[in-house]
Amino acid sequence: MPGPKKTLSIFSFSEAQLRFLKYCLVFFIPVVIAYFILELLVLNIPINYKVFGEYLDSNSQEIEIMGLGSSQMKCGFNPEFLNEKAINLSSTSQHHNEDFHILKGTKDRLPELKYVLMEVSYNHLELPHHNNDYWKNTIYLNYYGVNAFERHTWYKDRLVYLSNTNFYSYKLMEHYVHNSSTEKLNKYGFDSNNYEGDFKKLDYDEAKIASNKFKIITREDLTIFKKNTAYLFEMLDYAKAQNFKVIVCALPLYKTYLKERNPNIVRRRDSVLGVIKNKYSNVVLLNEETDTLNFTVNDFLNENHLNPDGAKKFTALVNSKLDSLN
Amino acid sequence: MNENLQRSVFCYIYSKIHQHLLFSSFSFGLFLPITLLLYWAVGFKRIKIQNAILLLASYFFYGLWDWRFLFLIVASSLVDYFAAIAITNTEEKSKQKHFLYSSILWNLGVLFLFKYYNFFIDEFALLFNMQQGEYAFSTLNLILPVGLSFYTFQTMSYTIDVYKKRIAPTRNLLNFLCFVSFFPQLVAGPIEKASDLLPQFNKKRAFNTEEVKDGLRQILWGLFKKMVIADNAARIVNTVYASPDDYGSLSLFYASVLFFFQIYGDFSGYSDIAIGTAKLFGFKLSKNFNIPYLAKSVTDFWQRWHITLTRWFNDYVYFPLIQKNLRNSTRRNLAIFITMGLIGLWHGADWTFIIFGVFQGVLIILERTPLTKDRKSTLFHKSSIPKFLVPFLTFTFITVSSILFRSQNIDEAGIVFKRIFSFIPSETIGSLINKRFLIFVFVMMLLEIITRNKDFPLTQIDKYINRPTRWIIYYIFIFLIFRYAGPKEDFIYFQF
Repeated sequence: MPGPKKTLSIFSFSEAQLRFLKYCLVFFIPVVIAYFILELLVLNIPINYKVFGEYLDSNSQEIEIMGLGSSQMKCGFNPEFLNEKAINLSSTSQHHNEDFHILKGTKDRLPELKYVLMEVSYNHLELPHHNNDYWKNTIYLNYYGVNAFERHTWYKDRLVYLSNTNFYSYKLMEHYVHNSSTEKLNKYGFDSNNYEGDFKKLDYDEAKIASNKFKIITREDLTIFKKNTAYLFEMLDYAKAQNFKVIVCALPLYKTYLKERNPNIVRRRDSVLGVIKNKYSNVVLLNEETDTLNFTVNDFLNENHLNPDGAKKFTALVNSKLDSLN
Repeated sequence: MNENLQRSVFCYIYSKIHQHLLFSSFSFGLFLPITLLLYWAVGFKRIKIQNAILLLASYFFYGLWDWRFLFLIVASSLVDYFAAIAITNTEEKSKQKHFLYSSILWNLGVLFLFKYYNFFIDEFALLFNMQQGEYAFSTLNLILPVGLSFYTFQTMSYTIDVYKKRIAPTRNLLNFLCFVSFFPQLVAGPIEKASDLLPQFNKKRAFNTEEVKDGLRQILWGLFKKMVIADNAARIVNTVYASPDDYGSLSLFYASVLFFFQIYGDFSGYSDIAIGTAKLFGFKLSKNFNIPYLAKSVTDFWQRWHITLTRWFNDYVYFPLIQKNLRNSTRRNLAIFITMGLIGLWHGADWTFIIFGVFQGVLIILERTPLTKDRKSTLFHKSSIPKFLVPFLTFTFITVSSILFRSQNIDEAGIVFKRIFSFIPSETIGSLINKRFLIFVFVMMLLEIITRNKDFPLTQIDKYINRPTRWIIYYIFIFLIFRYAGPKEDFIYFQF
């Protein structure tokens, strides 16, 4: 039976309701407190995004080069070895739509920005834009000051732990409990200790690597291809309008990976690269995908990512490309 | 406040919150308590105010998807409200029929236009090998309003029931609008019968602490199923189905089994949250799932899966089709075939859904067909198949047919079927197996099976567990949801 009513100014609750409200408060307050403790702990973990953000803030007046792309670019481009001040804002599974948001969202803070590295790797043009990594919109917002949500943001969008509890719980354990992180981030946020991949496990033995199973996407998708290509051209048009010089990169792949690529996907991607080369005077290509002479087994983390040694070599190639542009 | 300022303030607030109020979202976590506080705080005054709050909250909830959809739901509500009154206001049977058909025409017309028109136009063009521009009708650029299939069926059944004199029409427009748009079940059911839900808007709701607590527990259970089971399963299923050519037979079969648990966790989780949320407001919604993975036949499966949809099709399609001729097996089988085909089509405008439904229909017909002359034995009843194997066999049938449900098109389903039955080695299956996730699935099944006579595993646990232990259990579930939630996915049934 509901109890007698207590009259407040506008609303009134019965005693049973008030009792229940108190019950809820007592129950949920520890949850909220625990959450905010976790949030604070997460914010203190020195993850690469945080370092990117800090570097972006402290060097915004001098940065001339920006690297954008997915994990291949993240592992393969180390700004430390460039002659000019650069930042690498690429990250795992980051696609062109996120790249574009980052470019548009940071360019006003980077008055000296002249060169942009964009990645068009093997199946970049046939992978959908919005994947499960949209949780990183919170990262972009918090650390880069970029709104990639494509809508107005509010307080919740800044809650880092909530954006990907799985990932950050792992990071919390790694950092505070096991202290097991092998990451050694330089001041640019590049992990110069990033050797712990399949190839190291296989002792860089080419025979073992040849029989190693790896994941490669061979599915063709013409609809996505058309959409992504149009989007890429839109990005390049924007870069041209902003007077940025663009280096379109395809990073080295190991020979076993090269062999497994779907030739139709490669052909379509290469034809797009050809069009870009002819259409845009501000764009140069750096297609190192099949460069098996410069990049040997010891330069790879796994079949499709470079390790820091490979990154050093690839960054040197970027450097010479930049020199040729000047 | 001048008009411009008012508009800009409204636009600002709207833009700030303009995102879908998914049950598993933070925004819903704010929307729900605010609505509840308002609802119960004024509750003692007048039932009308409570209903008005519910209506505003429901329209706000729905309008956040796309405010233009609101016109459609209001129009549909008004058509059925006035059609039902018109039916009872006239004694003439032909006029009554006229009003009934007008309402059905409107409802099915809207559904056809938004959901099926493009599909039929494309298929028609394909059939006659015509190119764009060669035929008079062209496809339309329309977004499918979320939850259209659910509320259309609900309003349509109301008018039919009034016509059949199963219920009296309501003359209270506010209550009727609430019935159509009640936000806990608006976008993905359960599809309620007017005779069950509508009267609940007419009577006073008293705050019942036990019911509210049970509602919260059901929401917690639903969130666990949605965020821990369904969203984690989705991660694996999406990976495999994004590129089925790259996976072997076992991997594809494993992903298809997981898809069953994905869709079960997703939809039954949604239903639990919907039912739990309704309880917070003092409403009782129908049970929508009853441990479908224990089904002993495909017929049994459909009595355990999306129960309110099956009930709807039984009441308004199957029984009218057989017209009490249950003993006429041809007529009965045809009715099953048509009903299941329509259930398939209800899910979406694609051949995959139609074939999915038809396949279910064929299975149901097969398992009802007598195997012996004395007609006592059927496929799953008194047959040579050992009893303990029957649920596994049913589950396999359902899993195999759900491949059609998951595939983007017939070609993709063909690839998956072909690869599964070609027995291609699955060398990368290890990377798809997440032991912790499988433990969660096992725990969910175990809890549901142990408590199979109850509505959901956490219900009424205060009767046999003391408060500190209960709170520990709740905190464990909250922790599991926070810690092991998969990447946020939309509820699958929103697209229907």
